[in-house]
Formats: sequence, C-alpha cells, structure tokens
Amino acid sequence: MSQSTAMGLLSYVNMVQGGFLYKKGLVNHMVAIEVNHLSKTFRVKVKEKGLKGSMKSVFRPTYRTVKAVDDISFTVEKGEILAFIGPNGAGKSTTIKMLTGILYPDNGDSKVMDINPTAKRKRLAYQIGTVFGQKEQLWMHLTPYDNFKFFGAIYDLEDAQAEERIAQLSKTFELEEFIDTPVRNLSLGQRIRCEIVASLIHRPEVLFLDEPTIGLDPVVKENIRELIKKMNKEYKTTVFLTSHDVGDIEKLCKRIIIVNHGKIVLDDSMENLKYHYLNKKIVEVKMKEAADLTSGEGITVMKSEGSNLKLEVDTTRKNISDALKLFDADNIIDINISNVPLENIITEIYKKGK
Amino acid sequence: MKKYLFIFKATFMESLQYVMNIILGFITFFIVLYVFLNLWDYIYSDSASLISGYSKNQMIWYVILTEIMWFGTRNRTLTNQIANDIKSGAIAYGINKPYNYIFYMIARNLGEVAIKFVLFLGAGIIIGYTFVGGLPGFRFVNLPFIVIPFLIGMLINSFLQMSISVLSFWIEDSTPFQWIYDKMIIVLGILFPIEMFPGWAQPIMKLTPIFVVTYAPAKLVIDFNIHMFLNVLLIQGIYAAVSFVILMGLYQKGVKRLNVNGG
Repeated sequence: MSQSTAMGLLSYVNMVQGGFLYKKGLVNHMVAIEVNHLSKTFRVKVKEKGLKGSMKSVFRPTYRTVKAVDDISFTVEKGEILAFIGPNGAGKSTTIKMLTGILYPDNGDSKVMDINPTAKRKRLAYQIGTVFGQKEQLWMHLTPYDNFKFFGAIYDLEDAQAEERIAQLSKTFELEEFIDTPVRNLSLGQRIRCEIVASLIHRPEVLFLDEPTIGLDPVVKENIRELIKKMNKEYKTTVFLTSHDVGDIEKLCKRIIIVNHGKIVLDDSMENLKYHYLNKKIVEVKMKEAADLTSGEGITVMKSEGSNLKLEVDTTRKNISDALKLFDADNIIDINISNVPLENIITEIYKKGK
Repeated sequence: MKKYLFIFKATFMESLQYVMNIILGFITFFIVLYVFLNLWDYIYSDSASLISGYSKNQMIWYVILTEIMWFGTRNRTLTNQIANDIKSGAIAYGINKPYNYIFYMIARNLGEVAIKFVLFLGAGIIIGYTFVGGLPGFRFVNLPFIVIPFLIGMLINSFLQMSISVLSFWIEDSTPFQWIYDKMIIVLGILFPIEMFPGWAQPIMKLTPIFVVTYAPAKLVIDFNIHMFLNVLLIQGIYAAVSFVILMGLYQKGVKRLNVNGG
C-alpha cells in the first residue's frame, strides 16, 4: 500500500469515527452552529384606533407579547450551506440576531463555533461574518478598497495580510473594475458583492447572509449565488442563509429549515424535500375544443378556461399515463408536464405550519 | 487602540468629502457672531467700561470661543446616529463587530469633529482679530494648558449627548431631550458668561455641564490663571468620569433590551 493511500484511508477512518462520535454527541468539532431550545419574546405596544386610542396610549400604554422564536433546536455542520426560511415575521432574522450576539434570548442557548454568542460577543465576532441585505455596513464615501482596509484593521489584520486578502477576494468576487470607486457610486449588485467581501476579510468560519439578493435583478442574483458557492468551496465557509428567493435556496442549499410562527416546521435536505413533494406534477393541456374534466382520484383541476386546462396529478395515486388517458389524444394541441415549483411547495409548508 | 485610530482615520477621510458643507455652515456662524458683535458694541457704549468684570474685547472673544466650540463640535453622529441606529436596527452591524460600539462612536465623533473644529477655529480667530483685535491678556505660553480643558470639554459634551441618544433603547424618540440639552448650552453657556446671571443662579450653573463644556475653557483663554486651571481640571475630571460611567451603564443596560424589528 502506498503512503498516500494509507494516509487517505486513515483520514477516511477519522472522518467516519468523527461522524460517529458526533452523532453520539461526544465531540462537536464538525458542528458550526448548535441551537438548543432557543426562545425570544418581544413586547409590542398596542394602540387602540383613533385619537382617543392615541391619547389613552400616552397615559396607559398597553403591550402584548409576541413570541418571535419559540423553542427551536438544530445544528449546522461546518462547511454546510443552510437555507433558513420562513414567511415575514416567522423569526428568521431574530434567530440570526441571537446567533450573532445582537439579541439576548429569553430561554435556551446557542453556540456558534463553540462560543456562546451573548456571553462572548467580541470573541465570536472574529469567527463570523454578517451581511444584512437591507442594511449597509460599508462607508458610503470611501472606496471599497478603503473600506476593506478599515475592516482589516477592525479585525486586527496586519497590513500585508489585509492587502493579500483584499487582492484574493477582489479576484474571487470580481471587484477589480470598481475597487477604487466610492461605494455611493456603485450599483446595488456591486455594493452587495463588496458587502460580502467586507464580511469575509477576516476569514470567518460562519457567514450569516440575511436576504443577500433582495432587490437585485436576476442576472446579478445569479452572479451573487455563483460567488457564494465559489466562496463556500474555496474557503469552506459555513453559510447560514435566509432568503425569500426560492432561486437562492434551490441553487445554493443542500439543507433547508423552514420556520413559521417562531417554530421549526421542517428541517430536511433539499433532496428529501423535493422527493416528497415532487410526486405531484403539473399538467397543462391546450385542446382543440373545450374539454370537460372534473377533479377526481389523484387529480385536481387547478384551472379550466375553455380549451385550456391545468391539472395537478398526485403520482402516488394516479400515474401520469392514466391521467393522460382522460384526454382525447386527437384533440390535444400542446401539452406540458412539469414539477410543482419549489415556491408552491414552500408556500404549502408555510400554510401547514399555521 | 489601533482599530479606534483607524475608525478616526476613516471618519476623517469621509469628513473631507464634506468640507464644502462645513464651509457653508460658516454663513450661520458669521451671522450669529455679527449680531453679537453689534449687540455688545451697543451695550458697551464706553469701550473702557467693564460689565460683570468683562471688558468689551473679552466679552466678544468669549462669545467667539464658545461659538467655535458649539459650531465646531456639533455633529449628527452624537445627536442622531446612535438613536437612528437603535430605531432602524442598523446597530446590529455595530454591536457584532470586535470593537466596543460606544468607543467606535467616540472615535467617529472625534474624526468628524477634528476637521470641523479646526476650520471653525481658524474662521473664529480671523473674525475676532478683524473686529476687535487680539486678546490683551493672552499669552502663547498658556496655550498647552488651554488646549487640555477644551479637549476634555468636548469629550464631556460627547459623553452627555451620547447618553441622551442611548435613551432610545427605552423611549421611542430621544430628540426632545437633545433639544433641551442643546438649548441649555446655547442660551446659558454660549451667549453670556455665567457672571452675567443673577447671583443666586451662578452656583447652580457652575454645577451644570455649561461650566465644564463651554464656560470654563473659554474663560481660561480670556483670563488665564493656574489656580482656575487646576480647579477646572479637577471638576472636568469628575464630570468626565461620571458622565462616562453613566454612558457605559446606560448602554450596557440598554443593549440587553434591544428590540430589533424585522429585516
């Protein structure tokens, strides 16, 4: 056996043992994020309608409590890209903010790279990077280069080290063209790329991306996704992503956690999610003449407008060929069979979570 | 410390983009000074007379110096930035970095104020020399002693204004409190020296921030004596320590109840 084969085998054995021990809960060197029964409640002011209500709230303000995050637990492995999604107000951002040490949880605990975010916020800062798509961290009047130098200094990088990383990251994220243009003059897509680079300058182990592609056009979105993938591959950065864009989730993540009303309603691999939900097919048929078809065993008529029909076929109950037999083949002009869009699947899960 | 110097440097670089804005701010500065020059000119019909122990020359220099402190150190970082960061949730970026958010803001404030203060100082000195000439009692040898209370005064002012901003953790809008503090400094601390106020009010005023922020540093320029310098330094030291403890205490308490909404 050659030396390299022996080394390879040894690392494989270590890996398998590591995974086994991890599952047994004995070591957690594979875990980037660990969340145990995390909860957070907010107090929201309630005001009655009209002027009278406004006056009353001045003297006797009333509050109601909202459970933003309700007893959630999960782990994220190192190097994983996880989609953490949910409808507005589901508790995604609150969770991110607790994991980055910004908010204090009411109950439960969490560890990011084995650090308690609220107790050791400053120590954690060196291990994580954050990009909030709707907020800016760059200095608008400075160039991306000056901004990166600034962030390098903030994270105690030596000058030469900062220069080296700026050069490397600007190549990966293709910033060379506008690295000396003040941030205020950049397009949104260019700015988001710079925001991500600013968050990576200290080589964080975990990157939290909160809606990074919000407001971007499809081409730029695709470009950002490619760059995130590249970054994950090159630097082995764990990515914790929240997004409303199904494209982000579908193209980047292997695992998905769906939250709603502060609770986890689904924690599964993308593969499983698709496998369980893709047994439903959408059949769109254009007929020569109007056809009369009603929902039945395994078939739901979604739309019927004259000669145009749209059906959902549950292939576990009725296979596609049987469904197609319901149509007169000579009467068909065009037919299209597709999977249920992931967006619909997610919406369905949201609804179930209600 | 290196990172705070870098924050200072980055803010300073950013402030250089606003030099024209600062220069435009001279217009209000000139108008206010012009009004007061004429007012004191009218009140001091005899230029040799003294009012509350101040000659006309000293009185005008007092107003110029306090105006320099006021216009030269005013910036939105202190009054609006922290409050806005808390309200908008942008503070999320400020508190998950490896620096202390309050020290970061102090460094930013100094970076913004540095260039502004120097410009207003230059403009104020030119106006003073042009309209009333130099200060008869001023000696350059005292300059190092004068600079220290000026800087500590600026620092105390920033601690107090930041403490008010930090109240946004509890109240929806801290602007009314900023307004009260501003007006107190303008009306009682800038336009007239403390000696001009009724006898019973003077000891109370000497306990307020007016004494350490504007009155004492300006008074040391126009009428320096080492006894007063040491006295001012002691009071400023106590004020700086107490206001800093209040600021940090409020911040530490407030950040725990931070409520960042949505997004």
